[in-house]
Amino acid sequence: MSKQLAFFIDQTVCTGCKGCQIACKDKNNLPVGMNYRKVYEVNGGGWQQVGGFWESNVFAYTLPVSCMHCQEPLCLEVCPTGATFKRDDGVVMVNEDVCIGCRYCEWACPYGARQFNEQTGVINKCNFCADLQAQGEPPACVAACPMRALDFGDLNELQARYGTTAAVYPLPSPSLTQPSIVIKAHPDARRATVETARIVNLEEV
Amino acid sequence: MDARQFPSLLLAAPHRWLRETLLQVLQAWPGGVTTADNHDALLVAAKAGTDIVVLTPFAFGMHGADLLREVHRVAPRVRMVALIPDDDGDYRLAALRGGADAVVYESQADVDLLPTLQTVTRAEASRQLRRRSSRARWVKEERPMDNPNPIAELLTERHVSRRSFIKWSAALGGAAALAGGGLKFGLEPLKSTGAAPAAVAGTGEWITAACWHNCGGHRCLLKAYVVDGVVQRVKTDDTHPDSVDFPQNRACARGRSQRQQVFGPDRLKYPMVRKHWAPGGGDKSLRGRDEWVRISWDEALNILASEIKRVKDTYGNESIMVTGGDITRALTLYGGYTTTWGTTSWGTWFYTGPKTGLGDGLYATSHNDRMDLRNSQLVVMWGANPAWSSQGNPTYFYQAAKAAGAKFIFIDPFYNDSAMILADEWIPIRPATDHALALGIAHTLITEDNPKTNPLIDWDFLNRCTVGFDKDHMPAGADSKENFRDYVLGTQDGQAKTAEWAAEICGVHPDRIRALAREIAQTRRVALLTGWAPARVNNADAWPQMFMTLGCMTGHIGQPGRMTGVSCWEKSANGGPDLVAAGGSGVAGVGDNPIKTVVNNNELWDAVLTGQYTAGYKSVKPINIQMLYHGMGSALNQKVGLVKGIEAHRKVEFVVSQTHFLTTNAKYSDLVLPVTTQWEREGYVKGNREVLMWARQITPPLYEAQDDMWVVREVATRLGLDVAKVDPLPLKQQVFNQIAGAKVAKVDGSGQEPLVTISEADMAAMGVTGKPQQGRISLAQFRDQGIYQVQRRPGDRLGYIAFEAFRKDPEANKLKTDSGKLEIHCKSIAEFVKNSGFDEVRPIPTYNKATEGYEDTFTDWAHKIKGGFPLQLYTIHYRRRTHSVFDNLPWLREAFPQEFIMNPVDAEARGLKTGDIVRITSRHGSVMRPVWVTERMMPGVVTLGEGAWSQIDETTGICQAGATNTLNGAIATGQGHQGWNSCNVQVEKYDGTLEPDATWPQRIVFPGASNHV
Repeated sequence: MSKQLAFFIDQTVCTGCKGCQIACKDKNNLPVGMNYRKVYEVNGGGWQQVGGFWESNVFAYTLPVSCMHCQEPLCLEVCPTGATFKRDDGVVMVNEDVCIGCRYCEWACPYGARQFNEQTGVINKCNFCADLQAQGEPPACVAACPMRALDFGDLNELQARYGTTAAVYPLPSPSLTQPSIVIKAHPDARRATVETARIVNLEEV
Repeated sequence: MDARQFPSLLLAAPHRWLRETLLQVLQAWPGGVTTADNHDALLVAAKAGTDIVVLTPFAFGMHGADLLREVHRVAPRVRMVALIPDDDGDYRLAALRGGADAVVYESQADVDLLPTLQTVTRAEASRQLRRRSSRARWVKEERPMDNPNPIAELLTERHVSRRSFIKWSAALGGAAALAGGGLKFGLEPLKSTGAAPAAVAGTGEWITAACWHNCGGHRCLLKAYVVDGVVQRVKTDDTHPDSVDFPQNRACARGRSQRQQVFGPDRLKYPMVRKHWAPGGGDKSLRGRDEWVRISWDEALNILASEIKRVKDTYGNESIMVTGGDITRALTLYGGYTTTWGTTSWGTWFYTGPKTGLGDGLYATSHNDRMDLRNSQLVVMWGANPAWSSQGNPTYFYQAAKAAGAKFIFIDPFYNDSAMILADEWIPIRPATDHALALGIAHTLITEDNPKTNPLIDWDFLNRCTVGFDKDHMPAGADSKENFRDYVLGTQDGQAKTAEWAAEICGVHPDRIRALAREIAQTRRVALLTGWAPARVNNADAWPQMFMTLGCMTGHIGQPGRMTGVSCWEKSANGGPDLVAAGGSGVAGVGDNPIKTVVNNNELWDAVLTGQYTAGYKSVKPINIQMLYHGMGSALNQKVGLVKGIEAHRKVEFVVSQTHFLTTNAKYSDLVLPVTTQWEREGYVKGNREVLMWARQITPPLYEAQDDMWVVREVATRLGLDVAKVDPLPLKQQVFNQIAGAKVAKVDGSGQEPLVTISEADMAAMGVTGKPQQGRISLAQFRDQGIYQVQRRPGDRLGYIAFEAFRKDPEANKLKTDSGKLEIHCKSIAEFVKNSGFDEVRPIPTYNKATEGYEDTFTDWAHKIKGGFPLQLYTIHYRRRTHSVFDNLPWLREAFPQEFIMNPVDAEARGLKTGDIVRITSRHGSVMRPVWVTERMMPGVVTLGEGAWSQIDETTGICQAGATNTLNGAIATGQGHQGWNSCNVQVEKYDGTLEPDATWPQRIVFPGASNHV
C-alpha cells in the first residue's frame, strides 16, 4: 500500500481544551463558524440516591475530530467539479478556485469535516497542513496539543504502534469511508453507545 | 515565463484612490495593465483588444448590468470581472446576469482579485478538469495544486507584499481600509492555493510574543510570525524536541487567540469622554449608557489632572480610590490615595497558609516538584481542576504521575476535565463543605488508629513537627482545652465530628468518608493537593489549617512522593523555588503612601455608597470616596457585589479607566484612556520554575494607544510632580536589568549563576547601561530564542521536596511560625482574623459554617426545608478567559459559550433542557444564560464561569453575559477574602431569547482607520 498520512488521537489524555481548534483557526485564518478541527464531548451515566446520598456512575470523554483523509472519501465521490482530490500521500485536498460551493461534500462527509465559508462561497477543510509538512513541520494542531494527545504519520506505522481502533462512539463505522485515523480509546468509550451516551456540546461544534 | 502567455488587463474604476490601490494589487500582473477612468475610455479600450476587463460597473453613471452588456456588445470576446460592494446578493446576481465571468467583493479585492483572475485565465483547463474527475473515485493525476504554476508563485509573492502594503489593517478589519467597505470582524481567510503561505516562506520573523496574563497557568511560550509589522500567525514552543522530562511549553487556546486581542477591531483607539460628563460628574446616572466623544490626549490628560486636583482640594486625598496601576507612584507624591485590601485568588490561603506553616501556594509552595510527584502512589486532587485553571503543562505533569502508576482521587462538585482523564475515583462534594469532610476523615483516623494493630496516624510526625494536635502538645501559653483532638471528639461541645456528622453537611456517604480516610492513611506515599477554590468561601479561614492538619496526621509531608498543600496557579504540579528567575527591574520605590486608609474588597462599593468602612476590630470609620481610578485591572467586573458596584460608579464625581477595550470598568467611566498591550511595548520578561522568557515588541503602538506609564508621566507633569522620580527608568533599561539580573541554578544544585553573558557591545547595541558579565548563554541567543529552559531529568540535583530538612530535624530548621512548627493550634491567625474586624475564629481549625454555603439554602436545617435560593453556585475559572481578559475574542466565544452548568435532576425539576435560556437569581442580582445540563455536575450545585463582561439589560436589570459578581454578594468575613464559592441561587426558565455570545456585536466605539495605513 502506498503512503497514507493519518492522525493519531489519544483520548486517554485529551482534556478538551480546544488548543488544537484554535491553533487550526490561527493557521488557516478561519472566521467564527468555520472549524477544520473540532472537539466533541461525550457524557453518559447518571445519578441515584443510595441511603439518602447521591451516587453517580457518570463518565465523560472528549474527541478531537478533523478531516479523516479517508481512503475512500465520500466527499471526493460527490464533488461535481473536481475541486476535491486526493494526493499521493493520501491527503484529501480542496481546490477553492475550482469549488463552486454546491456543498454536496458537506452533506456527504460523515465527520462534519467540511466547512462552508459564507464569505467566499466555497468549501474548505483540514489539508493536513500540507504546506507546513512540506517545510518539515508538523500540522499546527499536533504541535499545539498541551497534552500530546495528537500525533500523525503513516497510517500503517501508526496502526503498528497504537492498534487499529478507528471509531469510538459517536464516530460512524470505519467501513463507510475507511478513515485514516488511529484512536487510543478513553477507558469509558467502551461504555458509550447510542443508548448510554450522547454528544453534549453540539452547540459548540 | 513569457508575458505574452498572460492575458492583458484593463482596470476600469472611476475613483482615483480605488484605482491606484487596485493597481498596486495588480502591478505585477505579467500580461500588462491599462486603466480607464470614465465610461468612454472603458469602451474604447475594451474594443481595442484587451483580454480581461476588471471594472466597478456601478460607478459609471449607469445601471451596472447595462454597462456590462454594453462592454460585451462592443467587445464580445472580452472576459469581465466585476468588483461589487460587499454582501449584497442583488449586485452579485445583476453582475452575473450582465455577463460578468466572475465577481469580487471590493473589500476582499486584495486577496481575491488575483486568484479570480487566475481562475478566469484557466477557464479552459478547469472545464477539462471537471470532465475528467466527475467519475473518478479518487484522482491521483497531477492537480493544479501540484503543478509548477507561475501564477500561484506570483500570488504568494503578491500576497506578502500586499500584506505589507495594508499593514495590520488586514488583520484588524479585513480589507475595509482598502475599499471603504464595511468593517469585518476577525481575519479574512487566506486563499489556500496549495502554494506555501508566507508564514513558511521565510520572508518574515518569528518573534517571542508576550503572553502576559494572570492566567493561573504555566507561563507558556508564544511566538508570532511577523512580516513587516503584520502578525500572520502564531505558534508555540518548538525550540527543542519535546519529552516529558524536558517538555515544550505549549500554549493554550487563549494564548493562541491573542492575535484577535491585540489587533481586535474593538481595541480602544482614542481617548474619549462621556458625552454628558462635566467637571464634578455632570449627569452621573448616564454612566454605562452614555455616548462617547473622541478627544485629544491633551484634552484627556488635562481633564484627568484637573479632576485629581479638584477632588484632592475639595475632599482630600483619601477621597481618591485607586483600584490598581502605576498612577499610585504619582499620587504617592501628590499627597496619597486610598486603595483596597484583601486577597482574591488565594482565598484564605494567603494568610492562614503561612501563619500556620504551609506556603500560600505561590510565593511559597508546600508541594514537591513535578519529578517527585511521579513517586506518589496516591494523588488526592481536592478542589483542583488544572485542565481549566492552570492551562499549559501542569495537567501533562499530573499525567506523567499517572503514567508512573499513581492512583488519582478527585474531590470536587464537578466531574471536571482533569478528572475526566486522571481520576480513578471521583468524590462529589458540595461547595463550601470541604472542611466538614476533612473533619470526618480526621475523626475516622483518631477513632480507628491503633499504633500497634492499626497505625493510621503518624504520631512521630505530630510529636516532633506540630503543635496543638492534642492537650499534650500545646504551644506555650495556650489553653490546653483548645486542642484539635478534643474538638474532633466533641469533648467540650458534645458534638463528635463523625463521618455521619460530616456526611450530612458535605453530601459524601459516611462509609465513603471512612474508606477515604483509611486509604489516605494506609497508602505509603500520598500527595494531598488542593487548589485555592475551596478557600474562596465565606468564613473559610480555618480551611488551610484543616488541610494541613490532615497532612500532619497522616505524615504525608517532607518525603519523596509525600506532600500536602496547594498545587495550583503557575506552581501547579511543580513545587519549589524557581530554577531560573529574572532579576529586578531596578525601578526605585517612591516611598510610602501618606494616606493609610485601606478598604476591604468586600466593602469597597458599600464604602462609596454608605460613607463608612471597617477599619479593624470594633472600628468603623467614615470615608468619602469621590474618585475611582482604574489604572489597570477589572475591579468593577471582578470584585464581589457588581450590582452595588454599578451604583457606586454612578455616585462618585469622577471615574477614569486606562484600558484596551470597553471593559466593564471603562463602560461605567467618565474618561477612558487607550493603552498599549505588551505586544506594543519594548519587552517583557516572565517565566515559570524551569523557564525564563524574553518577549519582544511585536508591533508599534496601535491607533493612539500609549503605555500606561506614559499616562502616569503626563499626569505627573500636569500636577507639577517630579517626573524623574515617578518614572525613573526607561522600559528598555528595566527589561535589560531583569535579563542581566537573571539567575539560573547550577547543574550540580550548588547554587546559582548568571544566565546571560553581556558585553559592552551588547549594551551599546541595546542602548542600555550596565556592567559586562559572564553567564550561561549569550544575550543574542536569549534574544533570538526568546526562552531559556532548564534541562530536567529524573534523578537530577534540581528536584524539590518541601519540608524535607524540617521533617528530619525540626529544631534545627524552624519554620517562620510563632512556634517554629506546623501550627494546628495557631494563635496568630485567630488574632489576624479578629483584627480584621469582621468576625472571629478559634486558633484550632473548627468548622465554621459559610455564609451562603450549603446550610443557608435551607430555611429549616433540622427538617431540611429549602428556602428561596435552594441551589449552591460556585464560580469557576472558565476556559474562554483568564479572569475577565479574552472574554471579547470571537474565536474563544465560539469555542466556549459561557454555559450555565446544571445537573439533570435539578434541570428536570425545573423543566429545563440543554440550550434553554435560564434566569439565575441570588440574593444580590440576576443573570441569564443558556443552560448546559450534564451528569458531570452533582445535584444541588450549579456553576458558571467567572469573568464575563457585565452586560446589564437596562430594562430588566438582568446581566445577559452572566457576570458572576452580579450574583455574588459583597460579604466581608474572616480575613477579608472574597468568598465567591459560597453563593445561594434559584434558577428558572427565562421566557426570552439570548443569541450565542459569538454572534454578539463587538464593543467597537470608533471604527476609525489606523494611523499605520
